[in-house]
Amino acid sequence: MKTLFYLLALSGLILALAACNRDNGVAVASGATPPIPTTVGPVPGGATPPAAHANPFSGNEVALTEGRKLFNWYNCSGCHGGHAGGGMGPSLRDEIWLYGNRDDQIFDSIAQGRAHGMPAWGPKIPEQQIWKLVTYIKSLRTPQEPDPPLMPEQEGIVKGSINSVPEAQK
Amino acid sequence: MRRACRPIFVFFAVAALFVGCNSRSHTSQPENPPHGGVMQPYAGKLPPDDGQWTMPAKDYGAYRYSQLDQINTSNAKDLKLAFTFSTGTTNGLEAAPLVVNNTMYIITSFPNMLYALDLTKPGAPMKWAYDPKPVASAKGVACCDLVNRGGSYYNGKIIYATLDGYVVGVNANDGHEVWKTKVGDINIGETITMAAQVVKDKVLVGNSGGEFGVRGWIVALNADTGKLVWKAYNTGPDKDVLIGLRFKPFYDMDKGKDLGVSTWNPDQWKIGGGNVWGWIAYDPDLNIVYHGTGNPGPWNPDERPGDNKWTSGIFARDADTGEALWYYQWSPHDMHDYDGINEQILLDLPIDGKTRKVLVRPERNGYIYVLDRTTGEVLSATPYGHITTSSGVDLKTGRLKVNEELKPSPGKVVHGACPAAPGVKDWNPSAFSPKTGFLYLPHNNLCMDWESVETGYIAGTPYVGADVKMYPGPGGNGGVFSAWDPINKKEVWHFDDRFPVWSGALATAGNVVFYGTMDGWFIARDAQDGHELWRFKTGSGIIGQPITYKGPDGKQYVAILSGVGGWAGAVVTGGLDVRDPTAALGFANATAELPKYTNKGGMLYVFQLP
Repeated sequence: MKTLFYLLALSGLILALAACNRDNGVAVASGATPPIPTTVGPVPGGATPPAAHANPFSGNEVALTEGRKLFNWYNCSGCHGGHAGGGMGPSLRDEIWLYGNRDDQIFDSIAQGRAHGMPAWGPKIPEQQIWKLVTYIKSLRTPQEPDPPLMPEQEGIVKGSINSVPEAQK
Repeated sequence: MRRACRPIFVFFAVAALFVGCNSRSHTSQPENPPHGGVMQPYAGKLPPDDGQWTMPAKDYGAYRYSQLDQINTSNAKDLKLAFTFSTGTTNGLEAAPLVVNNTMYIITSFPNMLYALDLTKPGAPMKWAYDPKPVASAKGVACCDLVNRGGSYYNGKIIYATLDGYVVGVNANDGHEVWKTKVGDINIGETITMAAQVVKDKVLVGNSGGEFGVRGWIVALNADTGKLVWKAYNTGPDKDVLIGLRFKPFYDMDKGKDLGVSTWNPDQWKIGGGNVWGWIAYDPDLNIVYHGTGNPGPWNPDERPGDNKWTSGIFARDADTGEALWYYQWSPHDMHDYDGINEQILLDLPIDGKTRKVLVRPERNGYIYVLDRTTGEVLSATPYGHITTSSGVDLKTGRLKVNEELKPSPGKVVHGACPAAPGVKDWNPSAFSPKTGFLYLPHNNLCMDWESVETGYIAGTPYVGADVKMYPGPGGNGGVFSAWDPINKKEVWHFDDRFPVWSGALATAGNVVFYGTMDGWFIARDAQDGHELWRFKTGSGIIGQPITYKGPDGKQYVAILSGVGGWAGAVVTGGLDVRDPTAALGFANATAELPKYTNKGGMLYVFQLP
């Protein structure tokens, strides 16, 4: 009985490890260990907030491109817009940051989630990938932004007439 | 039998056309002169009218028509404010107020408050408020603003659904909760935005979540207790869809066993959409309910080969058991997010010399369909807007003739796909006037660029897979309000608007039709020739549904909720950044100017004659 238990535990561990190595973005079983939570609100009396955790990928161009991919991969784009202009979730392109715009604050918003609909991705996304997402988000509207938004090519559309398609014939 | 047209009406209609040509216009685009249509009073049976408004469309046939006629084409210019009420919300208000027993009921966007206003007292003070306390995280899985489209009154209760997946029955006299039933799960992306529709002793509600890989369903609950009576899914095995021996679809494309499984890749139907978030109509004589089904998920069509039954179509079901009787698919293997959930207006129309029991459906893919509502046969499908994504409907096979050139495929950006994802008309319901015989259509004039992108399913997150950018169609106006002759299948008149006309329409026996614009104008037009009778600027953009009722003083009132939002207005309510044209699933680009014209904030406006 005891042997069976250990066997099961071992196989579970192997499965878990295997899942950790599957860097396909979706089926990852392990998640990030959020760093010590950073402050979001003001510190009473105006004291200096605790030191921020540094983004290990700050200025890393490869991480920037990967962050852009992950932004689509984890369906961030579905809520926040294809280029983070917002939709179901708020815009990340503008200057408004409800929960702070320091790298570690953005990390926490992703990892812990927020009460008004932002899911807690900590249990789903590995820590390194969250930092890459942060790297991408911080690049928005800067010359470094990968794959910046393009306006649609609507020339030639605003012509023709209403009801220009013939009615279906029997 | 009735002759096709009566000379006297022809005379008036023609005279009206000339008047219409000279009418002034306040719309952002020059108005077009009326160009067709002959007024043809409706010969079919009309539901009784007690001056109240007890269900979303006022009646089962979805006419949104009131027999009240105190407000008419001569005096509508004198309409003035009777009272107002702040809803305390900043998201879009899409619901129709209800009026029962001298009380008005207002259902708001999230947090889905229910307010009761006493119409017997000056200023209609609040009687009570009911707070269903929906969980805040529901806001994160609502695709297109936090709207609610209304509810129904039944046997002393106001019944409606909350964004976080509950249906509630609330005592209409004192606001106490009588029952509360959980039907949806936000953790897999299910929300509820549709107007709960009472049919006899049941209430029908379906789920939203077509952008989250949510499997669509509709449930019927006992309206007195909230207990589940039947549940029908819109994908999966026949037994789940309540398809059995009584199921007789008209076209071969909809016949076969377990098409809800076999028209998908293995297991994809489990996350395939086909949600029920629009309108339900009911024919008491046939005892049939009609409801549409939403888009298949994800939007990226290459990730779900097949016809994707039973998405983007319409079901006729037995009202008591939910058994499917027939089905028709507007957009098989939808490639442009053309949900099939719009309103269906049940009419008995003279067609080819015979009176046919039909349903008229202004569909998102750009055609006004006339279906035989007993069989599901398509009698006609006529464009009512600019269409490039298809070239008509093959009436032999029932199949939409898709334009292959505008088919999305990986790595290709499709330009100039019209209509755009919200269609020629989205949820915003039309109205039918039996007096003119015309349908009144608030709708869109939008096209889009579409690029399919790879997407992976993660429960409770968006499952879309398309970069969409919308913009106004031919003429440059985003919206249109038009009158449509369903017998002659042509437009009677139309008025352009700068933005999509995202409000509902109301028709009245006084020959006045009402609707609102996204920049906040509440407008009354002559039902016959369309000329403008009156307009009032409300505090925010209008995406609500106008209603009219008889007050305790015996006088006619008109009510509308103002409060911009919805998918079209998310650019305002969500404070979106239009430097990203794909924001709000691509809608932000089409309404990028809207924040310059209006601001968020919910308010009820009620009007009366002096």
